[in-house]
Amino acid sequence: MGEIERTSDTIRIPSSTDHIAVVDEFLEEWLRIRRVPEDTIADLAIAITELVNNAIKHGNKKNQAKKVTIRLFMENGEAGATIADEGTGFDPGAIPDPVAEENLMKEIGRGIFIVRSLMDEVEFSFPPEGGTKVTITKRL
Amino acid sequence: MKLTSREENGVVILEPKGKIMGGPDATMLHDFLHDLINQNKKKVVIDLSKVEWMNSTGLGILISGLTTLRNNGGELKLASVTEKIESLLTITKLITVFENYDKVEEAVKSFS
Repeated sequence: MGEIERTSDTIRIPSSTDHIAVVDEFLEEWLRIRRVPEDTIADLAIAITELVNNAIKHGNKKNQAKKVTIRLFMENGEAGATIADEGTGFDPGAIPDPVAEENLMKEIGRGIFIVRSLMDEVEFSFPPEGGTKVTITKRL
Repeated sequence: MKLTSREENGVVILEPKGKIMGGPDATMLHDFLHDLINQNKKKVVIDLSKVEWMNSTGLGILISGLTTLRNNGGELKLASVTEKIESLLTITKLITVFENYDKVEEAVKSFS
């Protein structure tokens, strides 16, 4: 099952959605201490929990031996996070448009779209050692 | 997230409180909505005034509840949607899918 690991700016969780609330508490406290406006905290919390859900379900396929690592940062007037999983990667360009008429009533498929809408920058990278790493930033 | 419910004029009013972000909280709301169908309760209002925010998991649960209720001759309506959630409904175009009322009383009355 594994333990939740924390440092000052990083939290690492086993791949279970039971831990999403812990991630939210960690990131909201981290941002609040740094006086990030509440509205921005909410946007970052929505985006980060969205990406952590994806990392757990689609990246690590809920394999609790695999971890999701969330690192928060604040620099150059921006706040953000990197969310990394240990999965096999995916093609962000292959996600169907969730606001297309034929997809509107689908229960899933809006996560990345919402993240892109709320954040100023979203970057996907696929490290050689494997997994997907998403970096999001929001201007303050 | 905490979830309470009450009934008024044959309409079930659900009052989730907190955040809907995935995990056990989301499962609770999903299961509750689907249990209502089994109890033949098909007129549902979700009062979102106390939901700080939700991510796509929450939106998916709303869509799932709406679809299931409509397929069984019922309807799910939203009331007192906060600014943050309304903006998510707008960017995802789900604002066009749900009946959305400023007040719970208006949503309940719309069923009669």
